[in-house]
Amino acid sequence: MDENRPGDPATAADTPVDRRTFLAAGAAAVAAVAGCGHVQPRDPSVRWGMIIDLRRCVGCKACTVACKAENHTPPGVAYNVVMEEETGEYPHVARRFLPRPCMQCAVPSCTQVCPTGATWSRPDGIVAVDYDKCIGCRYCIAACPYGARSFDFGDTYSPDLNPHERRPSPEYGEHRSREKGSSPIGNVRKCTFCLHRLAVGLSPSCAETCIGHAIHFGNFADPDGRCTVHGESLRELLATRGHMRLKEELGNEPSVYYLT
Amino acid sequence: MKSLGYVLLTALSAAGLWAIGVRFSEGLAATHLTQHVPWGLWISLYIYFIGLSAGSFLLSTLIYVFGVRRFEPVGPLALLQALGCMMIGLFLIWVDLGKPSRFFNVFFYFNASSVLAWESVLYVLYTAIILAELFLLLRPALARRARDGVRPAWLYRTLAFGTNVPDEAWIARARRRVFALGLLGIPVAIGVHGGTGAIFAVVKSRPTWHTGLFPIVFLVSALASGGALLTFLTAATSSLPQDRKIDIVKGLARFTVGILALDLLLLVSEMLVVFYGGMPAHIAGWQQILFGPFWWVFWGVQLVLGAAVPLVLVAAPRTRSSVRWLGLAGALVVIGVVGVRLNVVVPAQIPLEFAGLPDAYHHTRFAPGYFPSLNEWLVGLGTVALFVWPFLLSRKVLPLEEAV
Repeated sequence: MDENRPGDPATAADTPVDRRTFLAAGAAAVAAVAGCGHVQPRDPSVRWGMIIDLRRCVGCKACTVACKAENHTPPGVAYNVVMEEETGEYPHVARRFLPRPCMQCAVPSCTQVCPTGATWSRPDGIVAVDYDKCIGCRYCIAACPYGARSFDFGDTYSPDLNPHERRPSPEYGEHRSREKGSSPIGNVRKCTFCLHRLAVGLSPSCAETCIGHAIHFGNFADPDGRCTVHGESLRELLATRGHMRLKEELGNEPSVYYLT
Repeated sequence: MKSLGYVLLTALSAAGLWAIGVRFSEGLAATHLTQHVPWGLWISLYIYFIGLSAGSFLLSTLIYVFGVRRFEPVGPLALLQALGCMMIGLFLIWVDLGKPSRFFNVFFYFNASSVLAWESVLYVLYTAIILAELFLLLRPALARRARDGVRPAWLYRTLAFGTNVPDEAWIARARRRVFALGLLGIPVAIGVHGGTGAIFAVVKSRPTWHTGLFPIVFLVSALASGGALLTFLTAATSSLPQDRKIDIVKGLARFTVGILALDLLLLVSEMLVVFYGGMPAHIAGWQQILFGPFWWVFWGVQLVLGAAVPLVLVAAPRTRSSVRWLGLAGALVVIGVVGVRLNVVVPAQIPLEFAGLPDAYHHTRFAPGYFPSLNEWLVGLGTVALFVWPFLLSRKVLPLEEAV
């Protein structure tokens, strides 16, 4: 990228730059920055995804709690929540639960609208947030069809921060302490499939915690990919069970499947 | 009356300063924004003022590009208004950022697929065009004042870049440049406000926003509000002779209500299509607008106060030739468009992405609905009040009526 530095004295001295060349170079530079500033090519060998078995989910919300404990998220910020739905009338009542982590879309709406490219699609398919680039405009929250992103308003569980709140969050392996005025306060936060755990060979904490073994996690790009928590073949799960993705009609291509 | 106005303005400004201070020490915790409604009052006011600005600027091009001589005396005022409103709009979106100190990241890490990134660039270009036009139009008069030693002399010397009064050739060149800048400014202003509409229109997760009509509606209501503000300000502050003034105010008021009628047509078209289709997600936002808890913003502020009354005032024989009544009609449209902008931003976000979300995690930031906090109101109104001072000052010191 940086081979031809414009300030290089050897080239600047003997090649006078006329206006046309300058404009052309400028246009090319703008196009380069605009076109490929944030897009990293997909890694064809990794695509992290989740398969959530709705028949196994009992609505205990342990995943929500595990996620909050793992990522040290403040009140009002939640990466994975369990939605409940009650249908029918007594005595014929049914209750259904639907855990909703980030869908880690292959065609994410959030990364498309982000003015700074602070939220971006990693080569492994996980949508990450660069806390230092994010200006907190919340366009991504407005654009996310799944309500999967939360803004960190700076709220705390206790006014003088309890010991757990004071500990840095391992998110992105950055270990930031949540202090007034510094990131991630004022940033948009989201589920990362526990990237910092994946980096050391662990599974996302929600999947690990789930008492009903309802959350399967693994590499969809691997034809023999198995759930990293329970060992089932991911392809077999999808082939033998009815499944769906949320808001399929929007074309976001979520990486989270639900077994129905 | 006048002193009461100043008392009110001072009070609002002071309250605004305090609220802005609180906002910066507390962060956005001072707002009632939620994870479902991330954009609230400040964003509504931001698009409102960007719209006022773009509308005012496009009106000025009627004079400087299309040669409508009739409105010439209010051309510089239209540009000043465009500049002031742009500053208010930019200030409000800046205050709304979670990380205001990093706004420049938009330029450093420009993401080409983001409408907001493109808008940021357009806002800068647009502001530069307005400033350049104002300079070219006012420099001769400013230089004359600097030469004649009108106080404050340093101000006129600085603004005119010295005391040399430009000659006829310079003025002729300036006129051609203003024409060229105005011509360039038309697509830029359309980009500025049509693009601001596109920020919302491209969001498919909020079906009420997701329509190709949206950027057009933004532009049309911008023209209406810009024309209305110019009507009001000309009626209220212009020192033109009475017969010229009534002629200009009449023309501006008619232009405004004509555009307003077009705005209503677009609104009706959108509503008919949405309700005929009957898709729940599309209807939900409109139901909020028409029958939600703030139904009166649509029926009362937007339709009655902002459209019906001004239309009657401009049409009725008793009021249509009175500077005061027409000025009032302008003011009413300006207020009505606030309702339009609030209804653009908020109701579309009220329907939830999933009905079960608020109960999945109990916290005020996940609760449904939105009403601005006291801080949001004070910051919003206070910002406007604070920007009225430099406007009043420049109205006093700038030779707007002596432009070339």
